[in-house]
Amino acid sequence: MKLINRYVTEVGKRLPLVKGRKDIENELRSTLEDMLEDRTQKSDKPADEAMEVDLLKEYGSPQKVAETYNPTPYLIGPRMFPMFIMILKIVIAAVTLGMTIVTAIQVVTLSPMTGMELLKVIGEGLLNIVSASIAAFGNIALVFALIERFAPASEFKLDEDEKWDPTSLMKEPEPEDIKAWEQILAIVFTFIVISIFNFNPQIIGINYMTGNEWKAIPILSEAFFRWLPLMNIAWVAEILLNGMLLRAGKWQISSGLFSIAIKVFQIVIGYFLLTGPSIITVTAESLKAIEGFDAEAAQILGTMAQQGTQGIIALVMFLIAIDIIKSVVKMFRQKTSM
Amino acid sequence: MANSESLDNVVLELRRGVIVLAVLSQLSEKQYGYSLLKLLSDQGLEVDQGTLYPLLRRLETQGLLESVWKLEEARPRRYYVISAEGKKLLPKLKKEWAGIVSVMKKMLA
Repeated sequence: MKLINRYVTEVGKRLPLVKGRKDIENELRSTLEDMLEDRTQKSDKPADEAMEVDLLKEYGSPQKVAETYNPTPYLIGPRMFPMFIMILKIVIAAVTLGMTIVTAIQVVTLSPMTGMELLKVIGEGLLNIVSASIAAFGNIALVFALIERFAPASEFKLDEDEKWDPTSLMKEPEPEDIKAWEQILAIVFTFIVISIFNFNPQIIGINYMTGNEWKAIPILSEAFFRWLPLMNIAWVAEILLNGMLLRAGKWQISSGLFSIAIKVFQIVIGYFLLTGPSIITVTAESLKAIEGFDAEAAQILGTMAQQGTQGIIALVMFLIAIDIIKSVVKMFRQKTSM
Repeated sequence: MANSESLDNVVLELRRGVIVLAVLSQLSEKQYGYSLLKLLSDQGLEVDQGTLYPLLRRLETQGLLESVWKLEEARPRRYYVISAEGKKLLPKLKKEWAGIVSVMKKMLA
């Protein structure tokens, strides 16, 4: 019986820490004793160590026996796996995008660099992407493993099967169906834009070296930053809209109207930017002030920069206006077809 | 080799499907794990201990079985018996089984 007791202890060590663990051990011990008794009766010999060894060998290794009682053999089970992969893709894409932007900003702000310096910055950027992706993977896997371990399937309703209606297949696939990753990328990107314009506007500028000294010319003028609060409102509204779409999974009348309102607001901002003082500091005069800059080139480049900016603002306003008209027409069509 | 392995796997799956019904049908009277194993085996259904014991616990958690510890021959034994809920379920399972058998008979004829 010594071996049986040791065997049961070994199985117990490998059992999950759940209620009834002692019960399992007791039941196993009692079963093994019954089996041993059965064998002694059949062979008409008293139980000995060799008989115990044979019995335990047949019953299987403690690990194998314990595994049969383990209710959660998965780190992340089939019910959670699709969502795990989806979140992983989104986060790794966001991390890669974010790190790439940070590296690109470093390249721009530290320029001019020697070839080696440039390689170093890009190399570090790649390493950052790899290490941040591994960290993100680890954290997400940890969260999902904890959910898998502690949230029973009944409490975590990921199974959308009941809600799914096969007649949804009969509808023509709508091109405006929302893709979650697009919305999440849009949110991440808008956050990056907001943080750059509000907290690190010096990034947007021309950095150059004269002699041994770094000089930076900001590109955006004070006139631009006067309108920044309005732009912030538009960006935050965009994030809200992305959030609404992400939650609903499709365009609704409320999100459609909200989107149109944001676009109208963007056109208003565009009008202020276009009619007010120039939003960029790059003029023929500012370029001429740079040491060694050819006067004629400064004149041409300055004018191009000023007129080009106005042209771009006007073009963006025009495109937004077309977008508004399209949205309105689409909404009317959907309403009449309903 | 691969063929016999596939056969073993399919047979295992087939058996796994009927074990619940077999166990519930045999527990109208109290049985402890090993006695149930022998009872099933005597009737021609060989079930692995590693399958039966966890199954008994699962069925108890689901409320289809009840269990009680008894001290017999200086050895504690856990006896299982079908619960009221299990008794309600059993006729429905039997009916399902009869349906499956008749369909498969027709299919395999």
